[in-house]
Amino acid sequence: MTESSASITRPAPQIAAPRASFLRSKRFASIALLVPGIAYLVVMTQAPFVLTLWYSFHQWILTSPDIPHKWVGLDNFRYSLTEDPIFRTAIWNTLGFTTAIVGGSLVLGLGFALLLNRTFPLRGVARSLMIAPFFVMPTVNAVVQKNLFLNPIFGLVNWVWTSLGFQRVDWLAVHPKLSIIAMATWQWAPFMMLILLAGLQGISDEVREAARVDGAGPFVEFRRITLPLLGPYIELAVLLGMIYILQLFAEIFVATQGGPGTETTTIPYYVYQTISQANDVGTASAQGVLAIIFSSIIAALLLRLLMRTFRRELTA
Amino acid sequence: MSAVPVTRGRSRIRPGALGLNLLTYVVAFLVFFPILWTVLTAFKTEADAAAQPPIFIFHATLANFHAVWNSNYTSYFENSALLAFGSTVVALLVGLPAAYSLAFYPSSKYTPKVLSWVLSTKMLPVVGALIPFIVIYKRVGLYDSRIGMILLYAALNLPLVIWMMRSFFADLPREILEAAEVDGAGFLRVMTRIVLPLTAPGLAATVLLSVIFSWNEFLLAVNLTAANSGTLPVFISGFMTSEGLFWAKMSAASTLAVAPVILAGWLAQRSLVRGLTFGAVK
Repeated sequence: MTESSASITRPAPQIAAPRASFLRSKRFASIALLVPGIAYLVVMTQAPFVLTLWYSFHQWILTSPDIPHKWVGLDNFRYSLTEDPIFRTAIWNTLGFTTAIVGGSLVLGLGFALLLNRTFPLRGVARSLMIAPFFVMPTVNAVVQKNLFLNPIFGLVNWVWTSLGFQRVDWLAVHPKLSIIAMATWQWAPFMMLILLAGLQGISDEVREAARVDGAGPFVEFRRITLPLLGPYIELAVLLGMIYILQLFAEIFVATQGGPGTETTTIPYYVYQTISQANDVGTASAQGVLAIIFSSIIAALLLRLLMRTFRRELTA
Repeated sequence: MSAVPVTRGRSRIRPGALGLNLLTYVVAFLVFFPILWTVLTAFKTEADAAAQPPIFIFHATLANFHAVWNSNYTSYFENSALLAFGSTVVALLVGLPAAYSLAFYPSSKYTPKVLSWVLSTKMLPVVGALIPFIVIYKRVGLYDSRIGMILLYAALNLPLVIWMMRSFFADLPREILEAAEVDGAGFLRVMTRIVLPLTAPGLAATVLLSVIFSWNEFLLAVNLTAANSGTLPVFISGFMTSEGLFWAKMSAASTLAVAPVILAGWLAQRSLVRGLTFGAVK
């Protein structure tokens, strides 16, 4: 309403006050539309990081009013990095899981993508079946794999295993890391597959034909043509995968509770234990800050990659 | 239509291709098998579910679904649906105008900076922001509240909405928009009459992805909810200590929790890669 009346009663534009014309300008519109979204993100995601940093300099146990809530400087960081053996274990476990799961799902995903990147009957059905694991709720994945598949007595895996003539294995107790890696790899291979499949579809038939005319066999073609042209997609898949898999939590929470011992304790799980079991705000915050620092290194690399493709799109 | 068949040099099926086709079917079946097995177990009696050796052919029963649906499961399901859709609506309300601004009023100086910052908020670990939410939500009465979780999940999905919708908006021909602006149409009119109808498939995919991510989220849910606003992932995690006693019911609860998301994911397939890579891959 204001808009239409303004356009009717608008005097000659050159007489209008500069302020009013700014309010009607594109520049103002672009800012006004942008600000709510930015403000929302600042309040809900950036302010908490600042608060986490602030808390991390304090001694603060939520449930114990008799322990004074006070400034302790870098004590929480010193404790986490030099005195607390579990946090160090959690760092190594997190790195180990991330490497194994990203690597495993990348190799599997590449295999899946190569199988799907052909024309054959029921291709759509095969593709749909193969991406389904990515949508499965992580807690469902963990609870189902833990019971239906990895249960030492009634589990399907041991049924197959003993049918092959091997001894029964209590997988989650004896090979907890391997079990978690297997669960998560099943979920993330489809993610890698989707990105790599998009990359494969971008390689033109002409390039392949040319290689074949030059006498390249399928392996040479894969090594000399496919892999190099897939390079940027692999890079993207690995970095995105790392960002998400560094946060691995639900599978650990449900399947192993970080154990046996601290064998599968990751940084997110250890932060959870520190805050929800020890109610230690200060230490948990320091761990959170350290987690942010570790992730930022990967995030910086990923951002550079994504912005490179974005800029190319802008100039195209 | 022309009757000339399109013949390519390699359209005849070779035995090698046939073998690869079979391999693909076997791999697809194996990849999907854990889901299939969960669904099958959901239709078994508890005795059949824990049978050793496993039973592949059995009398199907709906008893587990009845039992699950008549338990407090429904309130968790309701919370999950409410949080997933509520947070998506909030993310769209603040995200769509931002995406519009970034797509249609781009500035070579600021747009890349804003977009890269928006993205960076999605890349930092959630544990880094978790502690203040526990402390503050408990203090202001938002702990274990649906509204608190909706506001939080909206923040998690906002970067996705901004990035994905900006990329769909930017694909629109600029002339359409300029014509509308010459006609004097304001933002709301252009958005609802022109831009959104033209990008409807992209919007649908964005909504589905946002709903899926909220639906499956666990770290925040387990730390910030309890009986009142608990979601399905929290309910399901309660089965972690059931040592082989309620496998059929557990499978029924899992099937009901996972089926809507897999269906939604299949619907969103076409724009899935764009969403997962923040528009880097189309």
